Amino acid sequence: MAQIRTRKSANARALDPVTFEILRNSFSNSVELMAQQFRLTCHSFVIYAQDFSCGLADANGDTVSQGEQDIAVQVGTQHLVCKNIIEEYQSDIHPGDVFVSNDPYAGGTHFNDVRVLRPIFAGDDLIAWAMANGHWSDVGGSVPGSFDVRAREHFGEGLRISPVRVWSRGDFLSDVAKLIVGNTRAPEDNLSDLNSQAEATRVCEREILRLVGRYGKGVITLAFSEVIAHVAALFRSRIAELEDGTWTTSDYLDSDPAHGEGMIPITVSLTIKGDQLSYDLSKSSPAVASFMNSAAGATLSGIIAGTKRFFPDIPINAGLINSINVELGPVGSVINAAWPTAVSGFVSGSFEKVISAIFELWSQIMPERAIACSFNLEYLLIGGRDVRLAERPIFMWYDWMVGGWGARNGFDGASAASALFGAGFASQPIEGQERLNPVVTTHCRIVADSGGPGEFRGGCGVEKGGQLTDAELTIMSYCCDRSRSIPWGVSGGLPATPQGLWMNPDSPRAEYLGAVFSNVELVSGDAFSRPSSGGGGFGDPLNRDLQAVLDDVIDGYVTTSRAGLDYGVIINSADPTIHNWIVDSDATLSKREYIRQNRHTWLAEDAEVIARRYRSGELSQLDLIRQYGVIVEWGTGELLVNTTKQHRELLRQRAATSWAH
Amino acid sequence: MAISKLTRPTFRLSIDVGGTFTDVCLLDEETSELRTAKVPSSSSDPLASVLAAIAELDLDLADVRLVTHSTTLTTNALITREFPPAAMITTQGFRDVIEMRDGTQEDVWDSFREVGKPYIARRDRYEISERTDYSGRILTPLDIEQANQLASTLKIRGIKTVAICFMNSYANSAHERAMREALIAVDPTMTISISGEVLPEINEYERFSTTVANALLASLVSNYISRLDTALSHLGYRGDLLLMHSGGGSMTAGLAQILPLRLAASSIAGGAMAAKHIAHQCGFQDAIALDMGGTSTDITLILNGQVRVVQKWSVEYGHPISFPGIEFATIGSGGGTIAWVDAAGALRSGPQSAGAVPGPASYDRGGLRATNTDANLYLGRLGRVLAGGQVELSLECAQLAISADVSEKLGLSELSASLAIVQIADAATASAVRLLRNARRSLSPSAPLIAFGGAGPMHAVAVAKELNIPLVIIPPHPGITSALGCLLVDIRHDFSSMFQCIANVIEPGALEAQFSSLEREARDRLSREGIPPNHMILEREISMRYAGQWRSLTIPIGKEQDCIADAISRFQEDYQAQYTYMNTAVPVEVYQLSLTAIGILPKVQFRNHEVIGGVPVGKAHRHIAFDETAHFILTDIYSRSSLVSGMTVSGPAVIEQLDATVLIPPGYEAFVDEWLNLRISEVN
Repeated sequence: MAQIRTRKSANARALDPVTFEILRNSFSNSVELMAQQFRLTCHSFVIYAQDFSCGLADANGDTVSQGEQDIAVQVGTQHLVCKNIIEEYQSDIHPGDVFVSNDPYAGGTHFNDVRVLRPIFAGDDLIAWAMANGHWSDVGGSVPGSFDVRAREHFGEGLRISPVRVWSRGDFLSDVAKLIVGNTRAPEDNLSDLNSQAEATRVCEREILRLVGRYGKGVITLAFSEVIAHVAALFRSRIAELEDGTWTTSDYLDSDPAHGEGMIPITVSLTIKGDQLSYDLSKSSPAVASFMNSAAGATLSGIIAGTKRFFPDIPINAGLINSINVELGPVGSVINAAWPTAVSGFVSGSFEKVISAIFELWSQIMPERAIACSFNLEYLLIGGRDVRLAERPIFMWYDWMVGGWGARNGFDGASAASALFGAGFASQPIEGQERLNPVVTTHCRIVADSGGPGEFRGGCGVEKGGQLTDAELTIMSYCCDRSRSIPWGVSGGLPATPQGLWMNPDSPRAEYLGAVFSNVELVSGDAFSRPSSGGGGFGDPLNRDLQAVLDDVIDGYVTTSRAGLDYGVIINSADPTIHNWIVDSDATLSKREYIRQNRHTWLAEDAEVIARRYRSGELSQLDLIRQYGVIVEWGTGELLVNTTKQHRELLRQRAATSWAH
Repeated sequence: MAISKLTRPTFRLSIDVGGTFTDVCLLDEETSELRTAKVPSSSSDPLASVLAAIAELDLDLADVRLVTHSTTLTTNALITREFPPAAMITTQGFRDVIEMRDGTQEDVWDSFREVGKPYIARRDRYEISERTDYSGRILTPLDIEQANQLASTLKIRGIKTVAICFMNSYANSAHERAMREALIAVDPTMTISISGEVLPEINEYERFSTTVANALLASLVSNYISRLDTALSHLGYRGDLLLMHSGGGSMTAGLAQILPLRLAASSIAGGAMAAKHIAHQCGFQDAIALDMGGTSTDITLILNGQVRVVQKWSVEYGHPISFPGIEFATIGSGGGTIAWVDAAGALRSGPQSAGAVPGPASYDRGGLRATNTDANLYLGRLGRVLAGGQVELSLECAQLAISADVSEKLGLSELSASLAIVQIADAATASAVRLLRNARRSLSPSAPLIAFGGAGPMHAVAVAKELNIPLVIIPPHPGITSALGCLLVDIRHDFSSMFQCIANVIEPGALEAQFSSLEREARDRLSREGIPPNHMILEREISMRYAGQWRSLTIPIGKEQDCIADAISRFQEDYQAQYTYMNTAVPVEVYQLSLTAIGILPKVQFRNHEVIGGVPVGKAHRHIAFDETAHFILTDIYSRSSLVSGMTVSGPAVIEQLDATVLIPPGYEAFVDEWLNLRISEVN
């Protein structure tokens, strides 16, 4: 990443404080106006759920202002696409032009994120770019929604739009637009979103030109660079206050389908030196044989989004982005995928692992803001024919869930919240889904014991079940990860729960389909259920306040059984109908002591024996994950030797070393 | 028994109980004379505030024909969460709908700021075996035995407030009603809200959230209204009690006890309705209302003579209220907003506020931070004595704070620093107005800014200037607009029902049947409230969208045979007007029908004043620094009460009144119109 050229102190600012602050505010207002228009006019229900971002860049493509409500997954990438267009078109950029790109190998994220960019001219001079980026619901490829979990190369994933002009000097190039939307399953929706995005960028243009009229072009372009320099100065002053050092950690993908079992590390090093912040991800694994890789742009977005959570008050613009040095290492890795490696599952794959790893690093640097690992985006797609209606229309039940966030230093984690991918990304109303699709939701509830135990408990995950009613020609695909790389605790906290889908649960036909599968056929009457993970715990669960455990039991966030196993707190029920529960203090004291004496030993027990006890029903899934550190194939109970070894090592590092003997 | 009066009662009384002050307006319908009063609100009992305010008027309530009331009672209860013990009963598998919400966080970047917990804890949310599908068909019958058992459990637990929220009850609420019967059979004194009646609309999160909040407020509002009723009749009042609701109309005390959540933006709605009236009085169809107080500013738009109404809003993020509410934007900008210099040397304004406690530095009550009020005082715009002598400000304290917080850090003089503080705050307010105006593109560019609240008249001209708004209107009593709004409104009920269909294939009969059924319900309600048929107005509206979209536009629709075709073309036009493009390739879909039922109340007549004119006489002089001069100039100070209709006050000037200070910069003038509004515009 390029460095900011000069470091300006506050006194070096050329604009007076009033003009500077009014223009800073006006730039961010121009982006808000654009986002508001986009939100009000979008067609894709994914954009409606807030999967979009808007930004204003200067003539060089450096971001001046980005929407504060923007989805995390797209932050810090818009300028890459803008610079790519500037490079491709150079002097061939004119007033009234509008460009479109979705190229993940040129700064984009995945094919569904289609960016619309409008150059803003003051007279003959290009002074700025307005950028509106949204997730189109389908961009072609081999499966609806453009999420082919089996894809190894991008050709199956969707249409790659390298930068292309769709409006030329104000004229709409309908042939180009048709070529784009004609390669998708929802041409009309996408054309509407293209229009909505182009109009939104025009709102920003109008606003910037109003400011040019009022203050003059020179003041506005000067203000662009001073607003960027202001953020750089803010951020660097904060970095300079921190101690120098290098910190390293890894988070893991569940596996690489080409290499048997064993989790795939994504390794992040962070170095602070003076006011310089650097990340090095060059030790990460080679690309995996699935669509969970991320290309450079998406990884950079994870780095910016992860860092921003420890500096929530600092706006994102080039001042922040350019103040972070990033070394991704050679092209071809799981976090720096090369064309044409598949990348559309990057969110559940590499992207959120980069964020979680960064959380752990900053948790060490800023312990007051420490946070354990959070759940991972998951999404399910069921498509077929809806036979409730005579014309048997195609239906597409595209669903994502909320889950648990990591416990924090001093506070439990947030339960049932949107994924790291975007804390403003809304889940869908179930009644709306039931009207549009022949799927009845059987339950959608918080899962007891899903939060990782700790002095502060991880947030709870949820479980959603469905049943197919009147449908035919129906198939199901799923992607979630974290069925083996389970959200971990920190500072002595324990892991949460795994993700993964069960077909026809609680029936003789029950079958575990796991974290990633595609094109599973469904017939009317089939049921399915899937949990989202909770968040990891913070601190030793044996130190958790007794009243907090009791409250969790009364509210059903924790069962009495696991209150004993995970927290060593023995709770009896005098009369549950009136919430009359009692902590047995003596039994709790001895239970906690017993766990304290034995828990190190459990982590060293013969894993094969533990797996056998799981298969026989003697031990539960949570016993294996939390007490014995053993990971098995959850459907069959077969021991995963390599994964278990990795999981136990992580438990030792993140939990056992913090436990008092 | 009071002695019956020989004369008919001829007064209309309105009361607004706000957080800081309680205001009353009394209108004599025979003389059109308006009297007002203001008393500090009681922190413990809103009824005490009402009685204290009435006492100020020295009035026999037997002379009053109608009392209309707005209050922050429910808003405060929602913020402080002072709720009775309560339970929620829901479909098996769905007790976490109000806890999961839609998963979003208000602050999308700070992991340590999260959405507040549900109003009803998980331990008090009960599930019951039952299920209805999207079409209203029963999939699983209600387990009556379980229902009866649950009723006994709640009785044992002493829970008397219950929200019943079942899946798809918008399509069929039979199970919810049966559950209510089971509860009433065990304990007839329970207060119960059921979601299919409170809000028969699709989407469980909004419906459940609205129903739960409604249930929790029911006993509070019932108790308050019955105490208020008793107190008013002790004072001789024999008329009806109406309450201002969030949708910009009033409702009877009886209905307010069933739908108490409708009062959640009662006071703000009062202010907005007053602004609508003032716009109309001054001959404007469109206007922007700016209500700026000590800690925040509420902005409302008036379009085509109406205040915009939205279908979903909230007092607290994550707890949506899906009753129609007047559209307003709130920003953290007010007199107490704190100015500060960030780590990179930029001057910022807010969002932190000194609030009422400790207040701005110049209040000398322990506040040490520089605020807008302190800057206004330093600049001479605000006098040192406010509210007719009740408040004295300390210039020394203001100066110290401005100097330490801003001047020294930026190397600016105290004068430049004070000007900068105010200008940055005004620009931020203007940005918020711009955002709201952008969403309502059809607002006329000549729409005036109607400014009220304690701080509105001070900042209005600067905000208007930034937005190229040609006219600022300051009503005669900028501090009592909510109470004024209460005098003006009709009874208004909002009904809705789902109707999901592609527009051009709708059979006119089906649409008519559904609207007719809503209208029957509306007429029944209005006639129970004593509204004669010729005073009922029923307005049909239809929510439409391009098929596949997730947001709708609401379009008025007639009763004619081809009304759908008209509505479709009206939708296309409105879409084009608002969003600068339309889409003829995609079919238009109907989403929902809504019916506004208005019970017209006798209109109040305000007295217009004879235009006398003349030369205004100042009461004093003061040195004031304006944005336009950037240095102190000797400026005339006028008393608002000395100004009569037809006068013009030329800027630079300040007009002081009990509840506000009006700033008129050089180059502007204020004309006193026949209603005693100040109309401030640039001198040509």
